[in-house]
Amino acid sequence: MKSKDWLRRLVCALMVVSLLVWSAPPQAVWAAWVETESVLNPSAADSARARLEIFLARQDVQAALQTHGIDPREACSRAASLSDGEILRVADRIPEMPAGGSALGVIIGAGLVVFIVLLVTDILGFTHVFPFVTHRR
Amino acid sequence: MPAALALLLGGALAGCAGSSRLALPATAPALPARTEIRDLAFFPEAAHQCGPAALATVLSWSGLSATPDAVGKQVYSPALKGSLQPALVSSARRHGRIAYEIAGSDALWQEVAAGHPVIVLQNLGLSWNPVWHYAVVMGYDQPQQTIVLRSGQTARQSMSYRLFDRTWARANRWGMVVLPPSQLPATAEERPFVAAVIGLEKARQWPAAITGYRTALARWPKSLAARMGIGNSYYAMGDLTAAERAFREAVSLHPEAGAACNNLAQVLMAQGRATEALQAARQAVALGGPLAEVYRQTLEEIRKRLETDAAGESARF
Repeated sequence: MKSKDWLRRLVCALMVVSLLVWSAPPQAVWAAWVETESVLNPSAADSARARLEIFLARQDVQAALQTHGIDPREACSRAASLSDGEILRVADRIPEMPAGGSALGVIIGAGLVVFIVLLVTDILGFTHVFPFVTHRR
Repeated sequence: MPAALALLLGGALAGCAGSSRLALPATAPALPARTEIRDLAFFPEAAHQCGPAALATVLSWSGLSATPDAVGKQVYSPALKGSLQPALVSSARRHGRIAYEIAGSDALWQEVAAGHPVIVLQNLGLSWNPVWHYAVVMGYDQPQQTIVLRSGQTARQSMSYRLFDRTWARANRWGMVVLPPSQLPATAEERPFVAAVIGLEKARQWPAAITGYRTALARWPKSLAARMGIGNSYYAMGDLTAAERAFREAVSLHPEAGAACNNLAQVLMAQGRATEALQAARQAVALGGPLAEVYRQTLEEIRKRLETDAAGESARF
């Protein structure tokens, strides 16, 4: 049990690192770089995109994406080519989620994660689970 | 909560559903009475594939070899049996093309008259039972009061203004032109056009983005964002010399812009020119502005680097 847990942590850590490396543009090497979008819109140097990227890079989110037959890379690519305004519409739907420390927290957290993942993929147009998310095709 | 979610994708929806009659705008008397774009590829639509077909049509027109099958992977959502507008936008960008959204009939006339085919979203059904459909507007005939479309299985569909506008208004008169980055849309405005080029940068289409920023600068030479975008794109491509040149240009033309000094400092640092970098970073901090915190961080990074370098030097002796 313990070794399984350890393995899970390792896989999780590797996945997060590889995803971060894969998705980071070269300039992200420098923390203090001004993106073009911030020049156009300095006040909206907001974290919506970062939140969505971090969300999509999460191991549990990745797993949920794959369970629903969605290639996480395609999800990231679709998200990456959207403007801040478009991203905001998606990212605003990602609330702060419980990290899930206790056993109970894990259960609630997992259910929530699947819910949010499906919500986001509905919006990105991969799934159509929630009738209340209107799509304009 | 459901109501809030329903509004989610409807951001563009709000407020533009007024029902103005479709007619050539009086404000643009120079538009021809009739026009039709020739040499437009035709991809008869397979089931539910109107999005990929429309996008492939305009991508081909823009000089790429595209097929509905190939773009379908990027835009089609099997679960929805359709394609969402952001997916079309994002796919065009991933092809290195400017995706410029338009809203309203004035813009539609002007783009078509300029020879740019326009992807439009129509609701062929009713507002409460929608049948969404993408088509490409390829022409109009003012005396006949008709719009000419590539639509579905029909290579040349002639539809009355009245009917077209009803179906289009139910989709909030959304349209999009897809152009090579060297061309401006007829209705281009500075901010949305530069934002569209930023989309290319985000899609990692850096050479296309550089061309797009240059196109923007030809029309709006004072655009700081476009000039910065050139430097940022070259930097992303790893061309530090060209990036430095772009940021120096930005600094000299916009001496008030701390952002340009900041990125110049970073590029100089990346080339190991710490002393020059320090000077640029100090200038950025002195200029300040909404991004002042970023500039201070840059200065801090460079100072730290200089200290470690100095420590390394003295350790050697």
